[in-house]
Amino acid sequence: MAKIGKTLLKLDNVTMKFGGVTALNGVNLEVKEGEILALIGPNGAGKTTVFNVITGVYKQTSGIVDFDGTSLGNQKRFQVTALGVARTFQNIRLWGDMTALENVITATDVHKKSGVVGALFGLPRARREESENRERAMEILRFIGIDEYSDRLAKNLPYGVQRRLEIARALGTSPKLLLLDEPAAGFNPAEKVELAATIKKVRDAGYTVLLIEHDMSLIMGISDRVVVLDFGTKIADDIPSVVQNDPRVIEAYLGVPADAS
Amino acid sequence: MKIRNYWNLRDYGANIWENAGRPVRVAIVLVSIVLVGLLPFTGGSFLATPIASFDAVLVYPVGMFVLMSLGLNIVVGKSGMLDLGYVAFFAIGAYTMAILGTTTKLNTWEIMPIGIAFAMIAGVLLGIPTLRLRGDYLAIVTLGFGEIVRLVVLNSTWSKGPNGIANIPMPPHIGPLKFELENQRVFFWVVMAMILLTIWMIRRLSVRRPGRAWEAIRQDEDAAELMGVPTLKYKIWSFTLGAAVGGAAGVLYASKNLYIAPEMFTLNVSILILACVVFGGIGNIWGVVIGATVLGYLPDRIRFISDARLLVFGLVLVIVMNFRPDGLLPRKKREKAIVKREANA
Amino acid sequence: MFAVLIDQFWSLTIAGIALGFIYVLVSLGYTMVYGVLRMINFANSEIFMWGTFGTIVTSRDIFGYTQTSAPATGPKLALVLLSQLLISMAVAGVTAIFVEYVAYRRLRAKGTNRLATLISAIGISIVLSELMRLLTDSRPVGSPRVLEKIILGEVWGANLRLDTIITIFAAALIYFLLERFVKLSRMGKAIRAVSMNEDAAKLMGVNLNRVITTTFLVGGLATGAAGFFYITVFEYTKFNIGFTMGMAAFTAAVLGGIGNIRGAFYGGLFLGLLEVYASAVLGTQWKAVTVFIVLVLVLLFKPNGLFGEAVQTTRA
Repeated sequence: MAKIGKTLLKLDNVTMKFGGVTALNGVNLEVKEGEILALIGPNGAGKTTVFNVITGVYKQTSGIVDFDGTSLGNQKRFQVTALGVARTFQNIRLWGDMTALENVITATDVHKKSGVVGALFGLPRARREESENRERAMEILRFIGIDEYSDRLAKNLPYGVQRRLEIARALGTSPKLLLLDEPAAGFNPAEKVELAATIKKVRDAGYTVLLIEHDMSLIMGISDRVVVLDFGTKIADDIPSVVQNDPRVIEAYLGVPADAS
Repeated sequence: MKIRNYWNLRDYGANIWENAGRPVRVAIVLVSIVLVGLLPFTGGSFLATPIASFDAVLVYPVGMFVLMSLGLNIVVGKSGMLDLGYVAFFAIGAYTMAILGTTTKLNTWEIMPIGIAFAMIAGVLLGIPTLRLRGDYLAIVTLGFGEIVRLVVLNSTWSKGPNGIANIPMPPHIGPLKFELENQRVFFWVVMAMILLTIWMIRRLSVRRPGRAWEAIRQDEDAAELMGVPTLKYKIWSFTLGAAVGGAAGVLYASKNLYIAPEMFTLNVSILILACVVFGGIGNIWGVVIGATVLGYLPDRIRFISDARLLVFGLVLVIVMNFRPDGLLPRKKREKAIVKREANA
Repeated sequence: MFAVLIDQFWSLTIAGIALGFIYVLVSLGYTMVYGVLRMINFANSEIFMWGTFGTIVTSRDIFGYTQTSAPATGPKLALVLLSQLLISMAVAGVTAIFVEYVAYRRLRAKGTNRLATLISAIGISIVLSELMRLLTDSRPVGSPRVLEKIILGEVWGANLRLDTIITIFAAALIYFLLERFVKLSRMGKAIRAVSMNEDAAKLMGVNLNRVITTTFLVGGLATGAAGFFYITVFEYTKFNIGFTMGMAAFTAAVLGGIGNIRGAFYGGLFLGLLEVYASAVLGTQWKAVTVFIVLVLVLLFKPNGLFGEAVQTTRA
């Protein structure tokens, strides 16, 4: 098990409003280096909004998002990725007409310097970076265990492989923090077990993971800590076994006070 | 191995190419270049065009259309942005040639880089405000831009307004090759060289980082940006490289025509070029080349089309998009070839 | 340079308001379709052009007016004008539905990418304008004068001409009726529901195709009415007048915040005035350039328009 270190990501009193709707209401959240933190809550609780605020899709209405010493909120979205935040999507958003390998290579480009001129004239740095990226991407595919599909177009891959390719592509950007948005959606129990192992493996390789998931057994099995959102407000933040028995959490999920049943 | 694949020309060609070694590939390329280069000598055959001389038709519209379609394809095909004002860059190149050619001692080849630079600058200036917005805005702003450039040259004195500019010098000879009005085969070879250069550029960029960035932007721009692709930068590059090719075509066009006027640079040109790209197969170099050749040549061969040319091209846009959105020769389906190679191995 | 502007300020203003109301109606065609489809109706400029021909054909071929015949008066005048208006609206409305059906519907059903739809739409607009070019042999077509341009009076040195006054009041009335329709009618509510959230509207039982067709129709009717007013004021049309009109009306729509009906109103009036003033200062040959510069500036500094509604890509 990896050692849990200093705070990597900190959301301080973050509020996100859309018109009159408050999607996040003063959320505080800390992700520590080397941990797997699960973010759960009923539908519409604001989980994906948290991801969208962190990755710069939305700019928070108020509050501070601090990532590894940098305050997020004014960067372009690709700059947030360059800082070390990468994500997967709840509804798979691979580039379907590219091969699996190309999907990952494209993500590895983020830390490279060469651009159009280098590519056009085949400058040495561009050539070197191309081959480095190709090797790195292949390595990631092997690490996630889908290297046999490297030359297949993403849109033709089996569903489960697509989900894994999303993780591989995110790893391609060499993130410090990996955000997984329902990576097990649509999986059968066997695939979930396999995915849990993969996520642990990713963490053990030194990545920090923030995970949105609905499957309780998966979460309880792998997370170090669980944060529960309900109607945009944080209602619990503790180790899995404690959260599991928190009456407010049960109420949020079942819609009735725990002692009423 | 399925025999059926063999009457699919694209796959058939791809097969030969993929299975060929380097010497064979070089030979194929050289033979094709020579064969195409000999086209101006086939003027007396069934290919002949009734009104314009055949070698002139080969230069314009055919050659120029191919060149410009390849340039527009970088924008529309590679990165999925609709540029409806492509004629503007063509006009900027042409007027650069016309003005510098008639007022300075610079020759066509010296003006070429200047014309390209002006077109690229215009591309950047237009790209910055519009490429941040969604695609529709780019389409309509470029549509306006194409017309604005025409209106500006029409109403300005430095461009001699509606009278246009005459007495533009021809290019100086290249070694033994002399440029002549009556026989335009040397122009054709120059256009061919420019086409080959453009193809070389596109192929190079396609397999490297810019090509991947464009492909990612075209397929899912939001995902691209979230995966760290600086989308605005690469969109501007794509737009600007397309502009550069249009500018280069314009310089050569002015130097071939010896006279240019605003009425040569209407919206129609943009639409014709777009139709060429769409007809052959958006995003596929060979599709674009074939599409532009067919649509450039046919109206000169079959006379009744030439009057209703634009109507036909408009119909081409609607019909192709609705029934065969990938055009005659769709984007190469690389996977098929790869899977097949693996199966054979 | 500014002498003309100062000298004729009030008559320019009246002309600008009349032109502005024509823009208001055409930009409704852009803004309403954009509201439901989140896509520009490229062919709207050509729908307008067909509308102008509807007006001329009515007076020339149905009522038999010629360039030399005397203008109509009394009830006959009302009858001719009303028929021109309604027929223009009908022609444009039918053209708009045709555009939706041919260029947009099939691609929407297939769910293909936006690029294909954009290209298909530009294709249909080329087809519409080329058809008219071939029908009219590329020649401009003048309108017989049905309405005598009587000067009703004078305000601050500016003449109040009958055609301008009719245009301003009738166009304002049509705008008002359309706005009420969208606000109050059942169909109008469905249109607004779709522009706010397509999926939710579908779940609530809104028939999407019908809403979209109706939107094209309503936009087309407004644009067709604009064609009638345009002919009444300018008395001339050509197969290619759609382009400049389209750019201006689109700019008006963006200026007001595309998708926003009230925005089209303010944007149209603003642009009409601006164009007339700018022409007085710079010369009419630069008015299209002025309009274009306004469009680029708005997109650069205020892409959501002056009255809101996001135009930037909706994010993940």
